[in-house]
Amino acid sequence: MKKQLSVKKILTLLFIIYCSLLTDSYAKVYIDITSPAFRKLPVSISYRGHETAKEAATIIKDDLDFTGIFYTIDPDVPGAEINIKIDVEVAEKIKADVYVFDLVENTAILSKRYTSSEEFLRTLAHTISNDIYYEITGENGIFKTKLSHIVSTSDKKWLYIMDWDGFNPKRVVTNGLTLNHAWSQDGMNIFFASARNKRWGIYMRELNSFREQPVFLSQGLNLVGGVNKNRIVFSSSKDGNPDIYIMNADGTDVRLLTKSSGIEVSPSFSPDGSRVVFVSDRSGTPQIYTMNSDGTNLRRLTFEGSYNTSPAWSPDGNRVAFVGRKNGKNQVFMIKSDGGDLTQLTFTGNNENPSLSPDGRYIAFDSDRTGRKGIYLMNIRGEGQRRITPGNVKTMNPKWSPYFK
Amino acid sequence: MKKSIFFILMTFILIVFAAGCTKQQVKTDLGTAEQQKAAQKKSDVMSESIYPVEAADRIPPSEKSLIDFKDVLFDYDKYDIRTDGRAVLDSITPWLNKNKETKVLIEGHCDERGTNEYNLALGEKRAAAAKAYLISQGISSARLSTISYGEEKPVCLGHDENCLQLNRRAHFVVTK
Repeated sequence: MKKQLSVKKILTLLFIIYCSLLTDSYAKVYIDITSPAFRKLPVSISYRGHETAKEAATIIKDDLDFTGIFYTIDPDVPGAEINIKIDVEVAEKIKADVYVFDLVENTAILSKRYTSSEEFLRTLAHTISNDIYYEITGENGIFKTKLSHIVSTSDKKWLYIMDWDGFNPKRVVTNGLTLNHAWSQDGMNIFFASARNKRWGIYMRELNSFREQPVFLSQGLNLVGGVNKNRIVFSSSKDGNPDIYIMNADGTDVRLLTKSSGIEVSPSFSPDGSRVVFVSDRSGTPQIYTMNSDGTNLRRLTFEGSYNTSPAWSPDGNRVAFVGRKNGKNQVFMIKSDGGDLTQLTFTGNNENPSLSPDGRYIAFDSDRTGRKGIYLMNIRGEGQRRITPGNVKTMNPKWSPYFK
Repeated sequence: MKKSIFFILMTFILIVFAAGCTKQQVKTDLGTAEQQKAAQKKSDVMSESIYPVEAADRIPPSEKSLIDFKDVLFDYDKYDIRTDGRAVLDSITPWLNKNKETKVLIEGHCDERGTNEYNLALGEKRAAAAKAYLISQGISSARLSTISYGEEKPVCLGHDENCLQLNRRAHFVVTK
């Protein structure tokens, strides 16, 4: 018994030494992206082999450039601190060998083979981006997340899901008028509110099987707000007036959280589920409030302006993005969840329905700045605003998915 | 003998461990085309990567009604019935009293200026206000139902105040 223990100890020690020899450079976080003073990291990307190598390299370049953490430079131009080499072979499947080097310390950061069928090149490239991003920053990349959103015509409001960069849009719900929606925390299900047979009900769709089931149906208006574990917070006028309720994900155990004679709408859980943010017009105009998820400890968050709606938590729970009306137009703002540090992020056209990425670094929203409403992305300082949906399609109300396992 | 077996075992364990801690040539397979297709096929029944597109904005089709009542109009971001709205509702009441077999769906609508979700709640309050007034005039609540379409079904497509006013309304759909 004693002997076995010591062998275990030796093995463990050897293992630790062996690993530390091999992975010393991997453990390094190259840039601290949480530091406000970080500088952009110069990266070069080179590729060879099959023609899809160029496409993969372009997707990875777009991913890394989007973050605002890297800037990609021509591999022939000196100055890169990180070099990414992509070598692609295609037989039946794509085989991509990816090597990432630290050119300053002359060490390998990543060396890995990826395979997939050719039609999933974008997924493969986003997977590579995620791995590179993780090795360099120590944080999870958002390159495989999705955006649910609404596509609208005069008589249709359909729920779609697309990649975070606007590619691969897919229809999810085409039955009834669908407007608001919320991801389950594991990203496996979408809850949504649809007007069917002259009433608004809350439904759930499983994204793997595409099975749909009703969750909450009643007279009047029922709008799903947010999901936390097995609990759903929603707005319902089942008793005559839009109030905030909480229930189980299967529609049982419905509890009233707020009671006023006015409008109470757009609730969502803080990331830890302990607080709820929502909109109420109890002061005479729509303003944003927070409360505990049992309805106690109510606090008003917004005081500036006479129209503040559509709140969305940041994933760390420290901030709330929302829409405020200023000079006759709707704009996206951020505020600390204690009410401080109000910042306006958009300035042209109407900008609505903000939703934060799971890493808290980016915001998806809709805007009519060029005519038809479309979906835009920006970082949480309002930089890098760009449209990701086609100009001729009316799209709105994006909701950023969680990370997928 | 015992020692050599132990040595082999230890070497083997070390190799396994080493494979666990190195990042060299770890293979990430995203699945075969067949596997991925099978996963997608389920969703392809309902999903195509196509957007419905309209060349220009149109006025959404409205529900058929047995009789066309005037709309009850509202102020911006308000849901209380104005004097002119009361007059509209008062003119509806006698017809409803005469035709007791009919049912009324009251649609609440908003102009485009607010945000979509808040406008759904605002439209609901407008429809509910019209419903409450009709009930106060003796119409049975069993004949009255409400639905809000927020800003999603405008009756006028312009952006001037005249159009916005026409869109801030409670609309009546009368059925048998």
